[in-house]
Amino acid sequence: MFVSNKFLSKRRGKSVGQGKVSQRLAMFFSVLASVFIVAAAQAEVPNAKPPVGTHSGEDVPQPIDFPHDIHADVNGINCMYCHTYARRSKVAGIPPTSKCMGCHSVIATDKPRIKKLTEYWEKNEPPQWNKVHDVPDYVHFTHEKHLQRFVFNNEGMDVENVSEVCAFCHGDVKKMTVAEKVKPLNMGFCVRCHEQNDGPSDCWKCHK
Amino acid sequence: MSGSDINRRDFLKFMGLGGVGAATLSGCDMPTTVTLEEGKEKVVAYLAPEEYAIPGIGVTFASTCQQCPSGCGVHGRVREGRVLKLEGNPDALNGKGLCQMGQASLQGHYNPDRITQPMARKNGALVPVSWEDAWKLMQEKASGATQGRSAWFTGTVSGHQSVLLAALNDAWGSKDHYVYEAINNAVGEAVNKSVLGDAAPAYRLDKAKAVLSFGADFLGTWVSPVHFSREYAKFRTGDRGVLIQVEPKMTLTGGSADLWVAARPGTEGVVALGIANVLLSKNQVDGKKLPQVALDVISQYSADKVTEVSGVPGDTLVRIAKYLKERSPSLVLSGESAHGHANGYQNAMAAMMLNVLLGNVGETIEASNSMVFGELKAKHGNSKAMLDFAAAADAGKYDVVFFMGANPVYTAPVHLGMAEKIAKVPFKVALSMFPDETTMSADLVLPLSSPYEEWATSVSPYQPKEAAISMSQPLMKPLSAETKSLGDILLSMLKYQGVKGYDGFDDYYAYLRSELNAMPGSVKAGKDNDAFWSAAVQKGFIKAPTKSGTLKVSVGDVKQGGYQAGGDYPMHLVPTSNQTMYDGRNANLPWLQEAPDQITKIFWDSWVEIHPKTAAKLGVKEGDFVRVESDQGAIEAQVYIYKGVHVDAVAVPMGRGHEEYGRYAKGNGVNPLKILSPAVDEKSGELATHATRVRISKTGRSEELPRLGGSEVQVGRRLVSTVSADVFRRTEGV
Amino acid sequence: MSLKNILENWSHYRRGHEEGGHHDYEHMWGMAIDLNKCTGCNACSVACYAENNLPTVGKDRMRKGQGLHWLRMERYWDEPEMGGDEKEYQERGGSFLPMMCQHCNAATCEPVCPVAATYHTPDGLNAQVYNRCIGSRYCSNNCPYRLRYFNFYSYYEESWPEPLNMQLNPDLSVRDKGVMEKCTFCIQRIRTGKDTAQREGREVKDGDVVTACAQTCPTEAIVFGDLLDKDAQVTKLWKAQEVELGKTKQDKSNGELRGYRVLEGLNTDPCVMYLDRVREA
Repeated sequence: MFVSNKFLSKRRGKSVGQGKVSQRLAMFFSVLASVFIVAAAQAEVPNAKPPVGTHSGEDVPQPIDFPHDIHADVNGINCMYCHTYARRSKVAGIPPTSKCMGCHSVIATDKPRIKKLTEYWEKNEPPQWNKVHDVPDYVHFTHEKHLQRFVFNNEGMDVENVSEVCAFCHGDVKKMTVAEKVKPLNMGFCVRCHEQNDGPSDCWKCHK
Repeated sequence: MSGSDINRRDFLKFMGLGGVGAATLSGCDMPTTVTLEEGKEKVVAYLAPEEYAIPGIGVTFASTCQQCPSGCGVHGRVREGRVLKLEGNPDALNGKGLCQMGQASLQGHYNPDRITQPMARKNGALVPVSWEDAWKLMQEKASGATQGRSAWFTGTVSGHQSVLLAALNDAWGSKDHYVYEAINNAVGEAVNKSVLGDAAPAYRLDKAKAVLSFGADFLGTWVSPVHFSREYAKFRTGDRGVLIQVEPKMTLTGGSADLWVAARPGTEGVVALGIANVLLSKNQVDGKKLPQVALDVISQYSADKVTEVSGVPGDTLVRIAKYLKERSPSLVLSGESAHGHANGYQNAMAAMMLNVLLGNVGETIEASNSMVFGELKAKHGNSKAMLDFAAAADAGKYDVVFFMGANPVYTAPVHLGMAEKIAKVPFKVALSMFPDETTMSADLVLPLSSPYEEWATSVSPYQPKEAAISMSQPLMKPLSAETKSLGDILLSMLKYQGVKGYDGFDDYYAYLRSELNAMPGSVKAGKDNDAFWSAAVQKGFIKAPTKSGTLKVSVGDVKQGGYQAGGDYPMHLVPTSNQTMYDGRNANLPWLQEAPDQITKIFWDSWVEIHPKTAAKLGVKEGDFVRVESDQGAIEAQVYIYKGVHVDAVAVPMGRGHEEYGRYAKGNGVNPLKILSPAVDEKSGELATHATRVRISKTGRSEELPRLGGSEVQVGRRLVSTVSADVFRRTEGV
Repeated sequence: MSLKNILENWSHYRRGHEEGGHHDYEHMWGMAIDLNKCTGCNACSVACYAENNLPTVGKDRMRKGQGLHWLRMERYWDEPEMGGDEKEYQERGGSFLPMMCQHCNAATCEPVCPVAATYHTPDGLNAQVYNRCIGSRYCSNNCPYRLRYFNFYSYYEESWPEPLNMQLNPDLSVRDKGVMEKCTFCIQRIRTGKDTAQREGREVKDGDVVTACAQTCPTEAIVFGDLLDKDAQVTKLWKAQEVELGKTKQDKSNGELRGYRVLEGLNTDPCVMYLDRVREA
């Protein structure tokens, strides 16, 4: 977005390309943000500036109608228990079937969805999930760095449950069964959050 | 622009066409690689991954490259179950470096023309069959082969596969295992054996201060190029060594020479004698290390005589002698362009004589330590094997022949009639990854797995000091379920044959585990079986105990013949090997087809190298097609003119001109090996590849040469700046 | 870097070059290539093909100069410094020069892009953003080294027939028709190296990041590293050769030192230093 020079300030001693945005610009953005925000209510993390924007996601049928609400809300399982690669890799990772079977070899084995899961396991075939959250191939998005910033090294942010941070981009998954895309995940969505939270603005950080 | 499907390029296109509907245009011309709509792409998780398998982060596994006999250790980067990139194994003999052949070997693994199913010949054509049918056919035709009527014709084999092959041949009562390599150092090895008592001594380039190489392309294709490149780097730093290369056409090593000398092909031995003469007469080198007989021969080779025979001027001889005397210790090597003559052995002997004269034996030529596990050592190929095989096949000696890792139908000269002789064998089985010429002439084709899909061990032929048994492990699941490793095929055949001791193994992996378990305690260094196996596979090799060797010195006859003029065929054909195509095996790898030749910078096609004087005489310019004709046939290719080839020589690279071998190789270039004359090295029986005489003529056709564009001279720009070695010594030398 | 940064920092990093300072940068990735060790074997070029999803274009297109060899091994037959060569034979071999994007600090390609698809990153790299590129080819026209390559055609149907496409590196994109590309100093490896260092809570140290070409070189002629890291091998080489960034003409205490940068008189300030080829006189 082209922003007039008067909003830009040049701070000495700062790395090139990461100049701090002036107060005026911050105000300009928050005004803009308040106009466009519709449902940012779930981000209740103090001192965090979540990304803005929404998307009305389609219903994506999955091979197994996986209920996030039962797992994440009712049973309070931490997102990273299943999506374990999020803290150390580019991808959060759909959990391997062995992770599901870790519990479901004994829990709720009579339920039809569990039976279906067990079938996959016995056949040595993982379920072919349909991808809901995707970014183009030319985008390098790494979960690890975002978790580092907002979960592990989050200066001054008060994160009670990591799911609040995941909600920044994935929406309130606790209320969903199968995942739905409720954020646009386009470049503007990413860039606005980066600008607000002093993320890198170098093109080559994300474009590969 | 949030939420829009239109990208920048489509957007501009639409505007240009007055805003035609997006749907029509985005569908064509612009392949949709990006599907962001929810639910359109699949994401498949692992089933039960290992702890270290983290999607998005690569895991590195060690294995071994088999693209050439050097057998360098590799580290393969594997992501999500696919091997993506190979690097050298820093702990192996080649260090962390890997040549372009090794890098491109990955394209061999993923090659679209790989054979994925056994094939059998029915009504003249090869058709896919099941393994069951393949085994049945083998049972019918091969197992009944009476004693001694079967043979294996392979490339270099080593490790436990070699053991199984020997056991199988034994079980069949056959002594015939022909090991063939088109690019080999057989003549050199014969001389080494005779003079030093060690066929493959350690060449200490890193200790040498002067290297005189008679055509040994040690940076390119000779013996173990990646290892020697590492040693070369040491050779050039500190007290910088001087490299002198004597050859008829500039090889990669010649490209780095301080002094490149073009000797008339076949006269390298005479040049060596000339240098010895100068050393003894002018440089006060003591001749006491040589027998009197040799000294007598040397004394006959005055500078004038040498110049007359070889074309090398007297002051060049003096200059070389000076380097050898002053930069001590030196190292004298010889390679294919010196060996590939009827007097090849003589040339190599003269080069070795220089080493003895200069006292290099024990300094830069050291005894190699041989591995105690003799049965695992490499059976390294030569070309005599092909000649012997051709004779035997012609005589109808075999009922069944197995081919693996060699392509004699392609590399054999036409005069051998290899295709016809092989056709005489009633049943031919080819174990192969690719549809090369030999494979396509077989009666039964068994698809092999690639080196990155199989369990195997291998031992490099060149193991100077530390012996290592290289491990190969699968870097991913086999691309086709129907391919099998050589080890598995041999094991199945042994089990079927009822050979004792192999029944207990389900597969080759189990056999290898058992063999490694059985290794002596000194090798396992106190580890239990599982820990030892893990360590071996993780490191990529097992250090094997060695017996230290010794070198004797006994110089043979250094007499050299005279030079024969060519008559009708005045020029010398120099069929060169280079890393890009090697002996033809790399022609199906697109990266290497597109990689410009190291010296001429030509890609995707063959060429003929001639000297500007030859070009002037002929009246040709770069890109003109010329006809190179021997008494066996003719080839036509475009001309490349430069001063890196002897005036009497015509250099044509080997490796292209395939008639099969897949989409990248077929119909591309010409094969100079076809028109070789029937000459052999008298003493060793090796095919004399550089002994062919040809004549060259214009065809009148011309086309732009497929060469990397741009100027071949710097036109005054400081692009590659050169300083003298004295300056180097002053600023960085020791 | 957004348009904002380019406007904000334009004069800053231009001035920074003349002031001789690049102290604002986190890293300054550079290379030192020793032409005494380089044998011209071309392993670096093929490794680059393997690492960076480079398509093979075939004979005709390659002949027209439409090849996409980000790192090309040039070979010259003359050596002006060692005097004329009217000899019968090429007595001192060839002059090999591996050329890849020099990541010039005063890059001639950056100012001319109409859409700012190429710019300088905080790491000292010359970046090429494929998405932004509209294919004007002005940048390649301006590059004095001719190191920018254009995708004249769409290669993914032809260059990677199954299963060759399984070899493609997912860490970077496969470029489409109409996009300019060039050596990136293996930005995907730099990213991974920095992420790993951050994960382990430490600084990036020398050897964490190595480009594909430097890793595969059998003679270790190519040395890659961070020029701002005092302990990096590449920094030591630059220092030993008394070659400095930000200078058009190096003033060396010893005029015989071997280090130089190609065409540095054009004021491009490249990050790649070469060390003279050596031959016995």
